[in-house]
Amino acid sequence: MAGLRIEHLYKRYENSGKKKSVQNDYAVKDLNLVAEQGEFIALLGPSGCGKTTTLRMTAGLEDITKGEIYIGDVLVNNLHPKDRHIGLAFEDYAMYPPLTVYDNIAFNLKAKGVDKAEIDKRVREIAPLMQCDDLLDKMPVKLSGGQKQRVNIARAIIRRPELLLMDEPLSHLDGKARQAMRTEIKRLINDIKCTTVYVTHDQLEAMSLADKIAIINFGVLQQYGTPAEVYDDPVNEFVASFIGEPPMNILETTIKGKGDHFVFTFEGSNLEIEVPKRYNNVVKDGFKCKMGVRPMDVLIGGPDSKGTSEEVATFENLGDERRIGIHVGGTLLMLITDAETRYKAGDIIKLEVRGEKTHLFDIETGDRIRE
Amino acid sequence: MSRIQLENVTKKFGKVTALDGVTLDIKDKEFFVLFGPAGAGKTTILNCIAGIQIPEEGVVKFDGEVVNLVDAAHRDTAMVFENYALYPQMTVYDNMASPLRSNLYKKDEEYIKNKIQEIAEMMKMDYLLQRLPSQLSNGQKQRVAMGRALVRSPRVYLMDEPLAHLDAKLRNAMRTELKEIQANFGTTSIYVTHDFMEAMSLGDRIAIVNEGHIVQIGTGDEIYYMPCNEFVAQLMGDPEINIIGGTLAKSAKGYTFTMNAGGKAYELPADADLFAKFDEVGLEKVEMGMRPQHLKYSFEPKEGYLKCSVYSYESIGNKSVIVAEMGELQLRMIAPNGLTVKIDQDVYVDMKLEHAMFFNADTKEYVTRYNEAEIKSFAIRED
Repeated sequence: MAGLRIEHLYKRYENSGKKKSVQNDYAVKDLNLVAEQGEFIALLGPSGCGKTTTLRMTAGLEDITKGEIYIGDVLVNNLHPKDRHIGLAFEDYAMYPPLTVYDNIAFNLKAKGVDKAEIDKRVREIAPLMQCDDLLDKMPVKLSGGQKQRVNIARAIIRRPELLLMDEPLSHLDGKARQAMRTEIKRLINDIKCTTVYVTHDQLEAMSLADKIAIINFGVLQQYGTPAEVYDDPVNEFVASFIGEPPMNILETTIKGKGDHFVFTFEGSNLEIEVPKRYNNVVKDGFKCKMGVRPMDVLIGGPDSKGTSEEVATFENLGDERRIGIHVGGTLLMLITDAETRYKAGDIIKLEVRGEKTHLFDIETGDRIRE
Repeated sequence: MSRIQLENVTKKFGKVTALDGVTLDIKDKEFFVLFGPAGAGKTTILNCIAGIQIPEEGVVKFDGEVVNLVDAAHRDTAMVFENYALYPQMTVYDNMASPLRSNLYKKDEEYIKNKIQEIAEMMKMDYLLQRLPSQLSNGQKQRVAMGRALVRSPRVYLMDEPLAHLDAKLRNAMRTELKEIQANFGTTSIYVTHDFMEAMSLGDRIAIVNEGHIVQIGTGDEIYYMPCNEFVAQLMGDPEINIIGGTLAKSAKGYTFTMNAGGKAYELPADADLFAKFDEVGLEKVEMGMRPQHLKYSFEPKEGYLKCSVYSYESIGNKSVIVAEMGELQLRMIAPNGLTVKIDQDVYVDMKLEHAMFFNADTKEYVTRYNEAEIKSFAIRED
């Protein structure tokens, strides 16, 4: 087992057949990441952000333009993929159709010339971990998507890799199978304690699985931290709106002085939200910025609430919870409630926003404004 | 006026029966959702209404008139597909204008311009009108595809998983937007989805479809609180409802429920209607349905709590799910984010029994639940 260290990693794809003078932008720009031994890290970002490219460079499937990748203490930049001691599981299962599940799992060990008794021992060890012991005699065509991905992961870990690399292993599966498989991956990693890099565009998967999340946008690392850190303390507007579902409400605001404190005000709305006192040194009357608040921190007041009266624009009853949308200027401010009350569009509610839970972001750069 | 009815519709593809005696009565101006797993037959129902497929048996009626023999072009429906199906060489404006320029529904250009402007504003896409489809994001493409259907005033809008292609975040945002403009449709709409949140949010009523059959029809609340069987209960809600097998027995105060796993007996809280129903059906073997938000946990031993171990702890956004394990039984429950929970550590679990629903252990069909009368009063709409 070993950790992973990525230092000043760059990737630029060469132009094919275009003018030499026009260069592509970097797909990955100055990426630094450390995964301690046994840690599960997620690379998270929208499609095209460079997360898969990073994984592929780590696996040795893609050349490194600049920078260094270490697995344990070994610089692997120039090592052949087979010498990197990695296990790979991709979105596509790519199994050998004429071979049984058993032979598919055993394939890599056979290719390496491991003796039969040892192979059998290891297949029978791995199979129950991935709950595919009943499937060993089946052919791949007989398997469901979830079962195929199970076999695929079993195949990746049978070599006892130092580093397990997974690229969107759940994105082919439908809702229920995905949820079940997510739990199984979590159990598996806990059992085998293998350093793991997991690529996904789904913040939910990253939040639920990873010890640490690296959020990447346009090839640049935005934030690297535990799920709680990126959720509670986002460094910028991008991270704030990417993590969490429904996403954080982000509204343009003008701050106004009101007696001994400040309030957020919004164009085209009477809503006023108290600015936390800790920001008193960074804001002033007329200061423009963006305010972020999570839907959980917007509440409906009771009959004697001092909150602002607002009209319900959308009411969605989702069974487990209910979501309400309120127009604040041109933006729909969302809130979530477990309460059983049913509303309809046009109803008036008292809106209370937990001011102390708000975040401030720079209007131009989106960077977090801190007290 | 457009009331859409299917009576005993059966559709076969070779030896495969895709629809088996489907009967539906969709009211004028209703937003009706067809919900079920992949391959259930939802799209086939839609295609039979559109006239793209002709049922072997049964009739499709529009406002009481049988349309089986009317071809698709003359049924006056407007469809929205999952894969947008936009003309790539045309601007958004021309894509939206295309149905109104067809021979069948021809309108003059002045009318077209006003109509497109109206719909584009409603869907907040007026700034996109001069773009080509290749210059649009997936969310924008779906908006155009929907806008193109809405420019017409057909007898019925048919929407086949219009949001399924989008990623989770965008899908949720678009669903809320659709909810907001839905009131302006003023036309019967039939919406196919496999996402329970879309079904719950959008549907005036929902039909649950499985293996070519209609399993249950009702409002979202009705289906969520009084699912007709365990299959439906498991479709609605994420994380999935807990199904706990056990035995009912009469006690001095009413009834006890003894769990199969571990054998713990619970004295069921009093509910006269519930106990009357138990008396009437005389069941012993039942399965109790408990939604994850109705389980309580503690990391310290507590009086009356079941000792389990943590199978997993996962954040699901604004909250987390603990899966607790006791022998064969796994229990899912909701917990806040940011707890320090170790896999395989002890956890103690209790249930808010006053939210339980009960199913027949053999047939898996709904028997009764707590507060059934109260739930019926707000869940079932008669109009």
